Amino acid sequence: MNYPVWFVPTFGGGLLIALVAIIHVFVSHFAVGGGLYLVMAERKAIKEQSQAIMAFVKKHTKFFMLLTMVFGGLTGVAIWFVISLIHPAATSLLIHTFVFGWAAEWVFFLVEIVALFVYFYTFGKMDDRTHQTVGWIYFGAAWMSLFLINGIIDFMLTPGSWISNSDFWSGFFNPTFWPSLFFRSFMSFMLAGCYGFLTATFLEDEATRHRMIRYSGTWALVSLILSLPAGWWYLSVLPSPAAKLVSGASPTIKRAVMTGGFSLAVLAGVLIALILLNPKARVRCLIVAVMLSAMGYMGAFEWTREAARRPYVINQVMYSNGILKKDLERINQEGFLKNAKWVQNKEVTETNQLEAGRELFLHQCFACHSLSGFNNDIVSRTKNMSFGAMRKYLTTIHEKRYFMPPFVGTDSELKALAAYLTGGLHKKPLTDDAGATGDRGKVLYEENCAACHSSDSIKPKLKGWDLAKVRASLDKLPALNPAMPDYTAPAAVKDAMAGYLFGLNNPVAAAPAKAKGATLFDDNCAACHSMDQIKPKMNGWSRDKIRAALDKLSALNPAMPDYTGTAAEKDAMADYMADQVGGAK
Amino acid sequence: MNPATLIPIADTLTAPNGWFQFFLMLTFPLHLFAMNAMLGAGLVAFISHLYPGRAYRELSHELAKALPFLVAFTVNLGVAPLLFVNVIYGHLLYSSTVLMGLYWLAVIPLLIIAYYLAYIYDFSFKQLGNLAMFVLLAVLVLLLTVGFIFSNNMSMMISPVSWSRWFTTPGGTLLNLADPTLLPRYLHIITGSLAVGGLFSALYASTLLKSDPEVSEAGKKLGMQLFSWLTLLQFGVGTWFLLTLPQKTMSRFMGGSPVATLLLVVGVLLAVATLITGFKRLVLPTVCLTLPLVYVMSFMRDVVRGNFLAPYFNPSTVPVQVQWSPLIFFLVTLMLGLVLVVWMLSKLQIFKKVS
Repeated sequence: MNYPVWFVPTFGGGLLIALVAIIHVFVSHFAVGGGLYLVMAERKAIKEQSQAIMAFVKKHTKFFMLLTMVFGGLTGVAIWFVISLIHPAATSLLIHTFVFGWAAEWVFFLVEIVALFVYFYTFGKMDDRTHQTVGWIYFGAAWMSLFLINGIIDFMLTPGSWISNSDFWSGFFNPTFWPSLFFRSFMSFMLAGCYGFLTATFLEDEATRHRMIRYSGTWALVSLILSLPAGWWYLSVLPSPAAKLVSGASPTIKRAVMTGGFSLAVLAGVLIALILLNPKARVRCLIVAVMLSAMGYMGAFEWTREAARRPYVINQVMYSNGILKKDLERINQEGFLKNAKWVQNKEVTETNQLEAGRELFLHQCFACHSLSGFNNDIVSRTKNMSFGAMRKYLTTIHEKRYFMPPFVGTDSELKALAAYLTGGLHKKPLTDDAGATGDRGKVLYEENCAACHSSDSIKPKLKGWDLAKVRASLDKLPALNPAMPDYTAPAAVKDAMAGYLFGLNNPVAAAPAKAKGATLFDDNCAACHSMDQIKPKMNGWSRDKIRAALDKLSALNPAMPDYTGTAAEKDAMADYMADQVGGAK
Repeated sequence: MNPATLIPIADTLTAPNGWFQFFLMLTFPLHLFAMNAMLGAGLVAFISHLYPGRAYRELSHELAKALPFLVAFTVNLGVAPLLFVNVIYGHLLYSSTVLMGLYWLAVIPLLIIAYYLAYIYDFSFKQLGNLAMFVLLAVLVLLLTVGFIFSNNMSMMISPVSWSRWFTTPGGTLLNLADPTLLPRYLHIITGSLAVGGLFSALYASTLLKSDPEVSEAGKKLGMQLFSWLTLLQFGVGTWFLLTLPQKTMSRFMGGSPVATLLLVVGVLLAVATLITGFKRLVLPTVCLTLPLVYVMSFMRDVVRGNFLAPYFNPSTVPVQVQWSPLIFFLVTLMLGLVLVVWMLSKLQIFKKVS
C-alpha cells in the first residue's frame, strides 16, 4: 500500500520471482561448490602429475567462469530487480535492516571476480602453490557470499528475536541459519559434482574421462548423503505454523516436498548406479537426468522455504502484500484506502464500490493472485462464490486458510472487495442476502468450501456415499486430506451441508430437491416463460395438480412441448413450483 | 493529484545518513570509471576496425581482450552505489522502478546478451573476421540502451510529478520521455563516458601495450583524439543540460549556492585543463586531472538530485536507529577484501616480470 503495484494481469509476480530465483539458485550454488571442486581437482592433477586432468580443470574453469560470472552474477542482480518490483516494501525492509551485510557481500563478489579472472588467465603461468591459493581465495569468498545471503534469506523465514530487539545479528543468526548453511553448502558441493560430471563427458581421452566421471560422481554422492541430515535438521527447527505448512496444510507445498523427495530418490539411485557400473560408454543423457533431478531436489527445497513463510513475506513481520503485521489493528480501525498511498478512492461510497474494490484487490491480493493468468488465478478461484459467501469468507480468510493473509480494512472496504471479486469479475448480483434465500446447504458450501473446490469437482468423490457417511466425514475433514481445515460448525449446520452434498449425487432423495427443481425449471422452461409469468396461471393449484400437469404439457398449451425428463425430475420440479405458488401438497 | 501524497514512507536507517552519502559518493565514481572504460574501449575498438593496417587490427584485438573484464567490473562496481541509493532513496526508486518495470527488468537480459557477445568478440576475435565489428557494434548498442534505461529511472525517481500516470498505465511500460532534462542528461553522461573511455584506451595502450610500439601509438592517438574532441563537444552538451534544468536548480550553479557554484567552476576549470593536456596527448596528466573531474561531476549530479527532491523529500527527516557493529563488520570486510585483491594483482605483476 506504500508502493505502486506492477500490474500485469496474466503474469502474477510470484511466478516471475520463482523463475528467476530458481535459475539463479542453481548457478549461484554451483559458483560456491564449484570453487572447491576446481581447487581439489587441480590438486589431484598436481599430485598425480596428470596433464590430462590439468587440461580438464582449465577447460572446466572456462565453462565455470562463463556460467557463474556472467549468468550467475547477473541473475543475482536480476533477483534484486525483480523483488524490488514485486515486493518493494519487503525489499526496502531487507535492504535497510541488512545494508552492511549486503555491502560485505558485494566485497566478496568483487574478490570472487578478481580471483576467478586471475585463476583462469594464469593457468600454467603461475607456480602451483600461488595458483592454488588464488583458487582457495575464490572459494572462500564465494562461500562467504553464501554465508551472508543465507542469513538474510533465512531471516525472511524465521526472523527470531529480531522481531523484539531489531538487532542486526539477532536477525542474521536466526533459528534456521546454521541448518540452512550446512544444507546449502552440501547442496553446492553436490551441484559442483553434477556440473563436473557434465563437463567430464566431453573429455576425449577415455581413461581420464572415466576417472573424472567417477571423481565427480563421488563428490555428488557424498554431498547428497550429507545434505540429508542437514535438511532434516532444517525441517526440525521450523516454527510450528511453518512446520505445519510443510507437513501438508498447503497443497502446493505438499506437492513441492513430494517432488523434492522423489527427485532425490531418483538422483541417488542414478548416481550410485553410475559409479558402480563404471561407465564405459558415453553417459551424457544419464548425467543430464542426474542434473535435472538434482535441480528438482534443490528447487523443491527453495520452493518449500518460500512457501513455508506464507502468508508472510517476512515471517510474522510483513504479509505477502507488503502490509506490516503490527499495523493491522490500526488499519482495520482507520481504513486501508485512507492509509494507502497509491489509490484514487480514499473511501468507499455508493458509487465507487467496484472501483475501490479493484484497488483493494490490486494492493491486497495481486501479490499472489493473477487475473485470468498462470499463477493462482483469482477468476477461477472465485467463480463458485456469491457476494454473500465471499463477504463471509473474507472475514475469516486467514483463519480458514492460514497461508492467506487476513483482509485488512474496514467492513465497507471488505464489502467493496467482495463486490469486485463477485460482481466485478463475474457479474454476480450484489444483493446483501444473496445466497441466503437459496438452499441453506448450498450457501454453507459456498461460504466454507467453494474457495478451494467447486461442488462439481467434489461430486464424483462422494459417489456411492450414503448420507451418514457424508455427515460423518464433515467431523473429520483433515483426516480426509491434511490440506483441509476442521469444519467447526454446530451439528445442525453440518446436517444441512451433508444434505446438500449427498444431494449432489442423489437429487431426488435429497432434502434440497427444491433447488434441483429450480434448476430444472431454469433449464427447461425459463427460455419461454419466467416463474413470475406463470405463477398467476397456477394460482390455487395443489402440488399434485402441478405434478399431473407436467405429464401433459402439450395438452395445456399446444405451443408447449411435452417434458421428456424422468419422473423424479418432474417430482422435483413440482415441489419447486408448488413452493413458489404457495400451494399445499 | 498532489504528487507528494504518492511518496512512500521511508524505512528507518541503521547508521547516520552521512555514512550512506559518503559510501554512495565514494563508490559511484568507481562505477563510472569502469563503465566509461567499458564504453570507451568498445568505441575505440570499433573505430579501429574502420582503419586499415595491422596496428589498428591488433588494437581492436587487445581492447577485445579487456572488454569482458570491464563489463564484469562495471556490473560489480555498480552494485555498491545502487545499494546505497536503495538505502537513501529506496522509497523513491522503487516507485519509479514499478512504473517502468518492464524496461527495468529488460536491463538483465540485455546485459547478459551484451556480456556473452563481449566474450564471443574476445574469444573468437580471429575466427569472426569482419563480422567482429558487428558483434562489437551490437555490444555497444545494447550497453547504450541499458544506460538509457538507467537514465530514465534515475530521472523519474526524482520527479514524483510524473508518477500519477501509473493510475492509467500500471503495466510497467512508462518511461520519462516527457522530461525535458532526460535527453541532455543522457547525452551528457554518454559523451563524458565515451571521452573518459577514450582516455582509458590511451592509458591502456601506452602502458600495457608498450611492447608493440606501433599498436601502442595507434591506441594512444585514437584514444586521446576521442577524449579531446568529445570533451570539447561536452561543453555544448553540458550547457544544454544546465539550461534545461528548472530555473531554481540552475540558479544554484550560477551563484545561488556557494557549494554548487564552486563545483561548477572547478569542474569547468578541470575540463579546460584536460582539453589542453588532451590535445597535447599527455596521457598521465590528463588522467590525473580527469579522476577528480569525475568526482566533481558526481557531486554536481547529487546537488541536482537534492534540488529536484527538495519539495518532496529531506533525507535528514528519515528516522535513524544506529547499530555500529554491522558497519564496523563491513569496513573490516572491505579492508580484508582490498588486501586480498591487491595481493592477487601483485602476484600477477610478478608473473609479468618473470615472463
